Amino acid sequence: MNLFVFTNFFAQTGKDLKNLGDYAEAASTKWGLAEPGVYYEGGLFFAGLIKWLLSTTEVSSALPFAGTVNGLMTSLAADGSIFPELGGLLITIGVVFGFVNVFAIGAVWSERKVSAHMQCRLGPMEVGPHGLLQTVADGLKLLTKEDIIPRLADKPLFAIAPAVVFAGVLMRFVPLPFGDKLIASDLDLGLFFIAAVGAVEVLGVIMAGWASNNKWSLFATIRTATQMVSYEIPIGIAFVTVILCSGSFSLMEIVNQQGGSLLSADDGYTYQGWVWHWNLFRNPFMPILGIVYFIASLAECKRAPFDLPEAESELVSGFHTEYSGMRFALFFLAEYAAMYLVAAVAVVIFLGGWWSGIYPLDALGTGPDATIYTKTLGLLVKVGVFLSKAFALVFVQMWIRWTLPRIRLDQMMYVCWKVLLPISLLCFVGSCLWELVSGGASVFGFGIVVE
Amino acid sequence: MIPCAYFMNIFKVARSIWIGMGITLKYFLNHKKTLCTIQYPKEKDLIPARHRGIHYLETEKCVMCWKCSDICPVDCIYIEGVRGADGPLQGGYRGQKATLSKFTVDYTVCIFCGLCEEPCPPKCIWLGPEFDYHSTDRTMMEKNLLTDEVYTEGDEVFVEWARGENDRLQEEKKKQKEAEKAAKEAEKAAAAAAEAEEEGSDAEGESAE
Repeated sequence: MNLFVFTNFFAQTGKDLKNLGDYAEAASTKWGLAEPGVYYEGGLFFAGLIKWLLSTTEVSSALPFAGTVNGLMTSLAADGSIFPELGGLLITIGVVFGFVNVFAIGAVWSERKVSAHMQCRLGPMEVGPHGLLQTVADGLKLLTKEDIIPRLADKPLFAIAPAVVFAGVLMRFVPLPFGDKLIASDLDLGLFFIAAVGAVEVLGVIMAGWASNNKWSLFATIRTATQMVSYEIPIGIAFVTVILCSGSFSLMEIVNQQGGSLLSADDGYTYQGWVWHWNLFRNPFMPILGIVYFIASLAECKRAPFDLPEAESELVSGFHTEYSGMRFALFFLAEYAAMYLVAAVAVVIFLGGWWSGIYPLDALGTGPDATIYTKTLGLLVKVGVFLSKAFALVFVQMWIRWTLPRIRLDQMMYVCWKVLLPISLLCFVGSCLWELVSGGASVFGFGIVVE
Repeated sequence: MIPCAYFMNIFKVARSIWIGMGITLKYFLNHKKTLCTIQYPKEKDLIPARHRGIHYLETEKCVMCWKCSDICPVDCIYIEGVRGADGPLQGGYRGQKATLSKFTVDYTVCIFCGLCEEPCPPKCIWLGPEFDYHSTDRTMMEKNLLTDEVYTEGDEVFVEWARGENDRLQEEKKKQKEAEKAAKEAEKAAAAAAEAEEEGSDAEGESAE
């Protein structure tokens, strides 16, 4: 599978289209390329949706340029043209990138508010209501700042490092779902891809620290390398355990299994999707493994109490000491994007993804008598559930940051190698035995069918 | 062979994290009650009554006796005007309302010692609660208390409060002094009575004998 083409917007190729799939087919037909029954690639859906919207009478009468854009799109979609694919690709990247930006703006604001309220302060209050636009103002300030490159720095490496870090984070959004069927690309090796591309971020940080030609940055680089490489191991073991239990690397598949029987209601099982179908409650070792994953993921995205790579009080600000302006903003953006990312991965592999754990709510929009309205509502509920779970975990990350002090380097290594690693290995072996003995049944005795 | 210290360590860490996060969550949820800061330029905290900020001049009471500018250790008070004819005794100083044309304090010089308050016969100048003043020019720091708006409308509340508080403090002082006096007198009286009683008892005893 080509990683750089955001193919396959919807989850399971070949399975019958539900919810969005129906719309996408309709939309793609409107796009002028469709043959009914053919499955269309991800980015095309958005492009098709836009064209479909533009060609409806309500929109075309309200927007004067709608007809022009519609005509342009039709001419671009001529036989053999690559524009539909390219356009779809760009739109998908735009959606993911836009989400990351909006999330970072919101997360920085809420981080400042959370820290302020925990410390009996008010936080930003001046720009916008309750300082909501403070981060936007900060971003504008960073955009207008001078881009300084130190004279003795390694210029090409210095210039490219923030982009590498940000790309490393953004690429991990590729196999990450935002809701049912809302995914840039459902890679078969999704979890593996996330773990592997995580190493690109380390590379970028090392490049930044080394190229800065600054003793603090260099120290931070050494710390980052030790920390992030070490903590990838408990994370990897957590991934492996989940993969072993669910029998799939695909994030969509892992989430779908946690929805109980919703995936395949006609296989003879009568149980329905409830909270106890989540991976977190699959066996007695999973809750422990979830905590291990969360702690390790804090270290992976360089959050307190594992923020040794930044360590304002010792290393000025670590590997981005020498950075200013937009390059610094990219580091910042990458940090907050990584926060969301690790939280979302935790939601996918442990907390049931977009399943709310309440069967009637999850079943909304499925079944034979579902209309377009209930389908849309069901989709929105699932997106909302997924995002609220992920945001709750992000809040816990902030909560921890403003509670705990930074730990020492040796303590950091101790936690990883002598605590998290043995515990995660024990959980791995325990889960293996559990799967072997129970034959795929969870603690509560419900079988989970792996197709 | 169970490494007890190892598990105790993990347990202790988990417990302390649990407690710490409980505390921060409590503060986060009750942030409206635990709030310690105010939006400073928009809302101001009450300033202690004896705070020595920019001078507050009650112009109508001033008799233009120059005592404040005389006592000023750094000579930062400049007064111009026409003094009224001698009138009835007022606050220990024989004078009438003066017509001031200039009452300037140079705040690049003033050390806010508060000495100017003390000799003023009508007690019309005192160091008030205002402290946040600024200027882009040194000459602008010379404030004419008659015309320059050192105390804006919003400050009136604080001035009134500080003034009331000043009065209250003085009254309290007076009451305290009176109480002390009364206590002393009572002591004296009691001592005298005791003496008298002793004498009386002696006298009684003598008489009984």
